[in-house]
Amino acid sequence: MADRASGRGGSPGMAHLARLLQFSDSTLPIGSFAFSNGLESAVQTGVVSDPESLLAYVDLILRQTARMDGIALLHAHRAALARDHEAILLADRELFCRRVGEEQQLMLTRVGKKFAELVIKIMPSPALERWLADIRANATPGCLPVGQAIALAHMDVDEAEAFVMHQYAIASMIMSAALRLMRIDHLDTQRILFTAQGRVEGDYRAVRDRSLDEMASFAPVFDVLVAHHTTTHVRLFMN
Amino acid sequence: MALLEQLGRLDSARELRDFQTEPAQMRAAAPGKVGELRLGFSLRDDRSVLHDLYRVAPLLVQQALYWDEAMPELPICSIISIGGGILQGDRYRIDITVAEGACAHVTSQSANRIHQMDANYASQHQTVTLESGAYLEYLPDFTIAYRDSRFINHSDIVIAEDATLLYGEMMLAGRKHHHADERFGLDLLSVAVAVRRPDGRKLFAEKILIEKGDPTIDYPAVMRGYDAFANIMCLTPPAVAARIRDRYETNFPPEAPRAISGVCRLPNDAGLMLRAVGEETYDVRNEVRRFWRIVREEARGRTLPEEFLWR
Repeated sequence: MADRASGRGGSPGMAHLARLLQFSDSTLPIGSFAFSNGLESAVQTGVVSDPESLLAYVDLILRQTARMDGIALLHAHRAALARDHEAILLADRELFCRRVGEEQQLMLTRVGKKFAELVIKIMPSPALERWLADIRANATPGCLPVGQAIALAHMDVDEAEAFVMHQYAIASMIMSAALRLMRIDHLDTQRILFTAQGRVEGDYRAVRDRSLDEMASFAPVFDVLVAHHTTTHVRLFMN
Repeated sequence: MALLEQLGRLDSARELRDFQTEPAQMRAAAPGKVGELRLGFSLRDDRSVLHDLYRVAPLLVQQALYWDEAMPELPICSIISIGGGILQGDRYRIDITVAEGACAHVTSQSANRIHQMDANYASQHQTVTLESGAYLEYLPDFTIAYRDSRFINHSDIVIAEDATLLYGEMMLAGRKHHHADERFGLDLLSVAVAVRRPDGRKLFAEKILIEKGDPTIDYPAVMRGYDAFANIMCLTPPAVAARIRDRYETNFPPEAPRAISGVCRLPNDAGLMLRAVGEETYDVRNEVRRFWRIVREEARGRTLPEEFLWR
């Protein structure tokens, strides 16, 4: 057994951890670089203008994502462990029917499908193949958190780890968009990312017992930003 | 039975678990505190009429009137709350049906005030059903959630593919000119909606949940600088939705806007959603009226009359 404090001796979980890092890497080629999650409009309208307001923005998006996508992810993860394909599709449908705005819908499903295609290339997963076949047959929308849940459950990643990875991916996507959209340097974005990640355990505890019907949010100005972006002419990002 | 079952489902909501004490006054859900309203509109001799009306106080509708000069065929019903607002322990149920080809407008008499509460909560369950070719504007006036109020509202909508529904909530975060603690001083505001086709297929769902102490209320991307907001959905066939969307201009001026708004597409071709945020109720109402006019023109070929001076 590994000696946890010193880390000496190694552990059977080392490859597991390495693969978690691989799936969390922002260079994972699933196209998330094309999305800013509303940040582009937030910067254009002055809702985000400096490091402090960027931190507030990321904090809000993480809170909101946990209470929507995070709940669907946990339900899909449990369904994947129980090999319940119908329950996976239910989580997928319920999340998608709560997503307002064509660009928000596009981000959720395009990245979801790309993720499934990528994972199937590098690791056999019958459950993920079945889900991807359903996406191609238009039988399910194909939301990213559902795909992540299926793949990670297959890799024996537990639900709390899967939740963390999902939340991290959202935060790092916004940070990488911020570098291209506003006057901010890499040191500030790393500091903000580090701070914002502090909330993940509280978010997990807040949502882990919630049902799909309890997915909820409240961010009226953000909702207007989502609408704003679809009608702006000059833009770098798809949402 | 159906009434009790639907209200019972709300009673078991997680967000109400801390608000289960009985009021010192009349007990929760006592006779006199359960308001019920059923409105049915249909075509009679090519004219839309209110053919079905059932009401239990404190909810009241008297009759349909035809006073919209730009759309004289439109029966208009105003919901009156004889209780002077929503009180702790109140349970409301509203059921509106618009039959094939008929049109209707349902509104409320004045702002819907949810009073301060020290026990229990108030709940409302709504069902709205639109048959083929039906057209309904269900636009209640602003809801004002007083400080320490608890309100849960759930709406189930069933709509045929070729029908059009304009429905939404306008909210004010407390009596803002009355007391500093009124702004988002509410204990709970939980507003959920689910939209389905007659065959049961779910198109869209949304739940807005605001609980006391929400640390994000004053974030710039939530409500900083604003006190009123509206979520108005237009459920309509994709071709009509596309025309409305092309005409509605996003409003997000760069310098100190009084109100901002924009329209987004709903999932599963359900229609559109107007999002509006503003300083005062009239700022938000202006945005909603702008959307409402376009919806009516594109869906029914009629426009809006001039607004009454006293609104």
